[in-house]
Amino acid sequence: MISTLVTFSRRISVAPLKLLTAGALILLAGCSANPIYTTTGVVLSNYSEGEATPYVLQMSDPKMACALGEGIDPLLYSFSRVTDAPDSTGSLLMLLAGNCAEYKAWEAELAYLRADYQGNVEAAKDAREEAKRLNALTAKRRYASFQRAMAAYEFDPSVEPVECPFLFSEQDELTFLLGLLTGMQAIVNDANSGAMAGVPKNIAPQAERAATCLDNEKWGGMPNAIRALVWLLLPDTRPALSPDPWQVLEHSTELGAEKGMRVPHALQAVAAETFGRPEKLEEAIASFVEANATIDVWDEYRLVDEVAAGVIRFSSDKHWSANYGYRTPQTYFGKMSPERETENVETMSLDGLL
Amino acid sequence: MIRKSLTAMALVAASPFASAQSVSMCVFDVIGANGDFYNFVKDYALEMKGHGVDFQLKPYTDEGVAIGDFNAGQCDAVAATDIRIRPFNKFTGSISAVGAIPTYDNLKTLLATLAQPKAAPLMKDNGYEVLGIVPVGAGYLFVNDRSIDTAGELAGKRMATLDYQKDAIHMVNYVKATVVPSDITNFAGKFNNGSVDTAYAPAFAYEALELYKGIGDQGGVVDYPLAQLTLQMVARDEVLDDETAQKAREVAWGMFPQAMNLIEKQEAAIPDGKWVRIPEKDIRGYQEMFRENRIEMRDGVNGAPDVYHPKMMGLLSKIRCASNPSAAECTAANRE
Repeated sequence: MISTLVTFSRRISVAPLKLLTAGALILLAGCSANPIYTTTGVVLSNYSEGEATPYVLQMSDPKMACALGEGIDPLLYSFSRVTDAPDSTGSLLMLLAGNCAEYKAWEAELAYLRADYQGNVEAAKDAREEAKRLNALTAKRRYASFQRAMAAYEFDPSVEPVECPFLFSEQDELTFLLGLLTGMQAIVNDANSGAMAGVPKNIAPQAERAATCLDNEKWGGMPNAIRALVWLLLPDTRPALSPDPWQVLEHSTELGAEKGMRVPHALQAVAAETFGRPEKLEEAIASFVEANATIDVWDEYRLVDEVAAGVIRFSSDKHWSANYGYRTPQTYFGKMSPERETENVETMSLDGLL
Repeated sequence: MIRKSLTAMALVAASPFASAQSVSMCVFDVIGANGDFYNFVKDYALEMKGHGVDFQLKPYTDEGVAIGDFNAGQCDAVAATDIRIRPFNKFTGSISAVGAIPTYDNLKTLLATLAQPKAAPLMKDNGYEVLGIVPVGAGYLFVNDRSIDTAGELAGKRMATLDYQKDAIHMVNYVKATVVPSDITNFAGKFNNGSVDTAYAPAFAYEALELYKGIGDQGGVVDYPLAQLTLQMVARDEVLDDETAQKAREVAWGMFPQAMNLIEKQEAAIPDGKWVRIPEKDIRGYQEMFRENRIEMRDGVNGAPDVYHPKMMGLLSKIRCASNPSAAECTAANRE
């Protein structure tokens, strides 16, 4: 009883103080949100863009980076309630979160292929359903990432002729470019989900046009690789006199390897799978692996090359799982079959020793 | 004999499940292995594995090449659209007859009917057998001017027409529009850059091929199905035994709701304001016009190509009249 009275009297004395503080805050902030939140939002957005993003782009652990995306995105992007939406960093965080969902989808896809190989239809169906759901989740995240990247640079991808955005820094260019790529990936994921996510398919021709805003040489053939993929998908979008899309893809892989960012290899593999060109798939995987010996990975953007490596490895794993029932053994990465190279090796006669 | 057993042994070595019969299938999808319908066929293949058939799918983005490879024996089966299937089975290849299936309910009745064991003899023709039929969506007329909403308005208009689709060419000539020969890869560009006034396509094309650009502010999508497109799986007759082939058709029919779900989503992507609704009395006029054309193309008269199977025309007429008995065609003297 006594304690209740004490609490009550305290409440009475504290109340005017709280009112005063609240009043002051309202005055400070006008009628908008808490000014501390706003300031924090601005600081965090700037810090993310200026420090955290370059740091993360240098990481060599895509799984840790994706966990960061899943973990930090809701926190950072929640600041869009109190200040301008941190779209550029937000698009990268959502891109990473999309990768997380995709890694799970890959495992489900491989489980489906293994079960299918073994003839276990129920397990295959279950895994395929799981892969579809995870692809839908990936597609939704990637579509959000695409939209944020476009919003970050006030770029309307539907406007024709294309009005290129102002990209102030190299990081802006990369963020925009990755946004386009992520939009394309969203379409693929959506198709693999059974169209559960409802990603608009016109992202593909829009990305084709927007990719012309970037310097192809500087970005290791990535812009043209994106365009070539769209030309294959929608032949209508291919400009007159443009080279054969497969040639463009191949040339882009060379540029990518020179620059140290092998995204075009990954796009070449995706194209090969999409169009049922096993020889092109073999080429993409083999040249990716060969480049390991010579490539000087672009240090500032190491993560991008690592993510592309994951895509290539998954393509290889899919091939192995579908044809042999297990994923690519480490020493066979770059090969499409378990044929050993130990059969035609010259041997010495043992006659004198026996 | 020795060769046979060697082959058998090789097969056992290659696959851990020698009981599953391996059948290669060339699959057409406009956007290849990452397309909605290729993925759909993957589900069909998985379902069929449970019935002892192991379909090995190969994606094709060019339907002509898929059919060519099937003809050349590079695959045991093919999945392609109705129009391309006609040479292998004129009966099922006539499903896309102009204006013959005005509603998805009618289509449902048709596909349920064809999936019955009783329909099995109709699925075989010419040494080929149909292993399943899946809807791809109705074909609609896309116009760059909303006032083109009657057949009369089409006169003189330029229309992108698939150059291998004889029935469409006949219809375009019939309405006195101008045929602009096109293929799947270039009709959208022609519509979008204004070199044709109209084109026909399933709703899927609205977004993927950016047909809204050709529609612009003045145009629209005429809300009346010109034809029902279907994807059909066909194999050489000896590939599957009769019982398994019947099972395959039932599996495909069982996937009807999944296909419709996809189609509904694609149609929902067209904004309400872009649909051109046509008055009921005009629809009746359309229906009669289509019917007369179908009869011509069934009988190959009046310069029409002989492309539609009479039995399919009869069945479709029965289905339409069962759902709409008061239609004039149901009492017409020359019922299909």
